[in-house]
Amino acid sequence: MLKNKTHYKEILAKGIWKENPVAYQVLGICSALAVTVKMSTAIVMAVALTAVTAFSSMIISSLRKKIPSNIRIIVELAVIASLVIVTDEILKAFFYDISKQLSIFVGLIITNCIVLGRAEAFALANDPIDSFVDGIANGIGYGLILVFVAFLRELLGTGKFFGLPVIPQVLFDAGYQNMGLMVLAPGAFFIIGLIIWLKNSLAGISHEKK
Amino acid sequence: MSETKRDKNSRVNVIKFALLVSFICSLLITAAVSGLKKFQQENIELDKKINLLAAANLIDTGKKPSKQKTNALYDKHIQAVIVDNRGKILKTDTPKSMHMYFYKTDGVIQGYILPINSRGLWGKIHGYLALENDGQTVSGFSVYSHSETPGLGGEIESTWFEKNFKGKKIFNSHNKFVSVGIAKGKVANLPENERKNYVDGISGATLTGKYLSEGIKSTLTRYEAVSINLRRAKPAATKKESKESHAKKQNPL
Repeated sequence: MLKNKTHYKEILAKGIWKENPVAYQVLGICSALAVTVKMSTAIVMAVALTAVTAFSSMIISSLRKKIPSNIRIIVELAVIASLVIVTDEILKAFFYDISKQLSIFVGLIITNCIVLGRAEAFALANDPIDSFVDGIANGIGYGLILVFVAFLRELLGTGKFFGLPVIPQVLFDAGYQNMGLMVLAPGAFFIIGLIIWLKNSLAGISHEKK
Repeated sequence: MSETKRDKNSRVNVIKFALLVSFICSLLITAAVSGLKKFQQENIELDKKINLLAAANLIDTGKKPSKQKTNALYDKHIQAVIVDNRGKILKTDTPKSMHMYFYKTDGVIQGYILPINSRGLWGKIHGYLALENDGQTVSGFSVYSHSETPGLGGEIESTWFEKNFKGKKIFNSHNKFVSVGIAKGKVANLPENERKNYVDGISGATLTGKYLSEGIKSTLTRYEAVSINLRRAKPAATKKESKESHAKKQNPL
């Protein structure tokens, strides 16, 4: 069953960068807008999503030969939803503060297109271990974009990094102002748009050349 | 699922599979929910106590003391009481009675804490508002549960916002009850005489602020009788008169 290392490296590279879920597949945008105001929520969201995607892909992949194709999506959703609820319950029991901060967004992982997208596009056609790796890769890919966006939004919007002020008071005194737009959802739209543009303008990976 | 060779898309098989999946999933969720309930409830209880103590300024907002310390502080200083709509202390719960807490040091009331159950943008906001024993100065505010947007309305539970409330008055400069509201933007932009009745708002969360202001106002209105009693008792806080006032107002001193 185990394949050589380059095979997994290939899957990882695809998920994390080449076919990045946010910048290439343009999935999971809604949650990327919501949780990227602060670094801390972005990171927890990324970890939670990675775990859910990896395990749901693995479970669905191991069931792939048995799932009747006409109720495929519903079965996938049932598996994903159950996993998300279990994750939420675990967070509430052992990481109460974090779960309070994320509140509804953990539940919204269910509707995150990345999870269902990977189940449909990858897990149904590949074996469980590959699917697990693919889930991890896509979770990391999503997380990287999230953290990058959150970094810019927190820095420009509130002048902070992980909740600590980093913009020196001298600048504020000289007339520097926080960018209110970055705190709101449109700020994330602009940043994500720029990331997608940047990625597609890099040689060799644009949609056109594929 | 032994007969995989049979058509997996047959109607019987689809129904069987759907039932099996739903059964396993529900089992998993039930196990997680009931198995973890004890831990979750403990967390919620502790979190409520921490917020209560934070509202009373017994612990710093945003800090999280250990479980033992929290419980010890709570038992020492906080007394839960039931009052009726005229501010009288009741022994038993009645349908119209209201819950609140006294914050005491060595048996002397330092302040009182009201539970806030306010409407929010997405769901209920639960928290505590503490007032000093003069019945008009806010000593603290804290939120322990809400479902506002993280980073926007969710900022209501952040330290800066909660600290905002300290020292604000629920009376305006004409000595009329106005409650304490959440400003649109910064308090500094308001006229001088209104500043003590408002706290800084959260940018991008105007509606959350509006609903929370309404919630705080309605809570303070309902408990106004209690505040009046305390305000009357306040000038008599000296030792001589305190007995008299406590007989009259039935303060549980």
